[in-house]
Amino acid sequence: MKGRSWMVLLVSLVIIVSMIWPSIASSAERSPYKIGVNLELTGPWAEVAKTVKMAMVMEVERINGMGGVNGHPIELVIEDNGFDLSRAAANMTKFARDKEILVVAGPFEDPLQATTRAIAEREGITNIIFCPSNPMVRGLKQPWSFNIAQSDIIVSQKLVDLCLARGYKKVLVFPASHPLAQSLAEYCKRFGEEKGIQVIISKETHKHTDIDMTPQLIKLKPIIDGEKVDAFYACTAGPPGPIVCKNLRALGIKTPIIATHAFGFHFIIDLGGEAMEGVEFPAAKPVVPYQLDEDDPVRPIITDFDKRMKARYGVRADQIAGYGHDTTWLIYDAMKRCQGNVTRAQFRDALENTKGLKSCNGMYNYSPTDHDGLTKRDLVFVRIEGRKFVRIKFPEFE
Amino acid sequence: MTPWVHIPQLLSAGITIGAIYALVGLGFVTIARASQIINFAQGEFVMLGGVITFSLLKGAGLSYPLAAIVAVISVVIIGFLLHILVVYPLRKTSIPILLIATLGASIFISNTTALVFGTLPKALPSFSGNLPLLIWGVPITPQSMWVLGATFLLLICLYLLSHRTLMGKAMEASSTDPLGADLSGISRNLMVFLAFGVSAGMGAIAGIFITPIFYTSYHTGTLIGLKGFVAAVLGGWGKNSGAILGGFVLGVVESLSVAFIPSGYKDAVAFVILLLILHFRPKGILGSPFIDSRRW
Repeated sequence: MKGRSWMVLLVSLVIIVSMIWPSIASSAERSPYKIGVNLELTGPWAEVAKTVKMAMVMEVERINGMGGVNGHPIELVIEDNGFDLSRAAANMTKFARDKEILVVAGPFEDPLQATTRAIAEREGITNIIFCPSNPMVRGLKQPWSFNIAQSDIIVSQKLVDLCLARGYKKVLVFPASHPLAQSLAEYCKRFGEEKGIQVIISKETHKHTDIDMTPQLIKLKPIIDGEKVDAFYACTAGPPGPIVCKNLRALGIKTPIIATHAFGFHFIIDLGGEAMEGVEFPAAKPVVPYQLDEDDPVRPIITDFDKRMKARYGVRADQIAGYGHDTTWLIYDAMKRCQGNVTRAQFRDALENTKGLKSCNGMYNYSPTDHDGLTKRDLVFVRIEGRKFVRIKFPEFE
Repeated sequence: MTPWVHIPQLLSAGITIGAIYALVGLGFVTIARASQIINFAQGEFVMLGGVITFSLLKGAGLSYPLAAIVAVISVVIIGFLLHILVVYPLRKTSIPILLIATLGASIFISNTTALVFGTLPKALPSFSGNLPLLIWGVPITPQSMWVLGATFLLLICLYLLSHRTLMGKAMEASSTDPLGADLSGISRNLMVFLAFGVSAGMGAIAGIFITPIFYTSYHTGTLIGLKGFVAAVLGGWGKNSGAILGGFVLGVVESLSVAFIPSGYKDAVAFVILLLILHFRPKGILGSPFIDSRRW
């Protein structure tokens, strides 16, 4: 009887010590700041979204190696949403309900952002979205949501600059049917007409699943020939971009093609092959890291990042990997500016006050009225030549 | 501007895409004739043909013809495996169960492709240049000619197979009269097995010929498979000639429809036509051996 009560005491002592031990041990270093990452790691955009994850993992390790945020390490909690709206929403809610998570990065693609933004507003957690905002969500002025990528407004401004520099007087726009492409077309028309360029928006559109745009282009051919347009604007993203170029050239149309910043990927050139030669577009700076001006403030950041990506993963840095890099450093920068332990509200205010943070895609400035960050100065003109991206310079428009 | 000026050009685009629908539709019909199964993994064979050729060409550095031949052979093997692993074990169940099983196999194939070959879209180079040829003032790409040529060659081969060889006749027999075929000592399981191989091979060849025009990715098989199925039903389910006619009709109508209605509805056209045909003429344009025509 006596022996058994000793055993009970011993066992309970062991249990108590083992429960307390981790908290004694970890109190030596500070508790981690957790970031939720909600990405399309499976589905059609898996390969692209993976580079975002790679970049974030690499940069977080680097930050933690430098001592973290005032001694607190950063920890990523990564969830796959499979390019599925309900899974993206479930991940977002899960992150929001976990009190330790301070900010959610992702989703990557436009169709998912409206939902996660709404959850972010309801739950009061910052949501950083990799794709650009579209006019519908921008109009809501949601205080908790921030976008990383170049918005449709600045891309259209830069595109109009490209037309002015090339002396195009009449441009035909062939937009995709999704909202972002439609707004790119609208802004192109608005900014273009301010500068005296005639912009015709085609009534024909295309879907991102279309594998053949020949019928639409056949219908546009009389407009191209009859109106004598100077340039054809392929206002689209993903595989339809090269398909439009291929179909256009197959119809024997030799009009110069201008395009969106979504053409800045090597797989786009591979898809389009010869038809991509001579296509010009406003591009993010990571598309041409080694062709930037020597005195460009972001050049050393991109080239350094590119070297580290190649060394660790064997892939070159592109704009998408750059978004992963930029998001990580934006979060780090905002956390460092918080007083004491970071809270969700403090973090949001700090992120909104980001001023002049230099990162891969350019100089980020957020303000209560601007949650898009970049400006048209963060874009460069690029031309596809010999299956490579070649920077072209127009001094008066840089 | 009248829509009529576009007609010749739209017609040529429609014929090219119609040839592809015809090839995919023929794949459906080949299996259906041997076993009455609708093989929903047919579109995946088309996708695999393109994706495997791409990876052999770019990854393994094989020459284009060699890569294409190896790809066709591997897709035929995958077709055989599909029969051995999915269809054969379920042969004693009902047709709807087999149909769902092939649908499951199609999802399995497309996701495995995503894992093995990646999710980025892939395009093959054209067989012979990109400069469009002018035929009666209508620019046509050389690749379209290749697609048409390949379609006609395959049609001839298929015709010879089913009308001039014992194997083809045995396949035909096992579909038209299963009991009679059994009594004559034809192994129906073997015939279905061969039909899967033939249809996989046709799908792969179609995939290799069309990838230079469009692109391929792990998820492109579904839509092209559906269109091929629509083509086969449209022309007359279970008839080779029906699939061919249905393919060209579908391709041309889809393409011409753009001249008159906004292009956003292009994909819907195929399905609207299918609904109309099924409503007014359920056995398809040329009639179907599977549907008792006396009832209609």
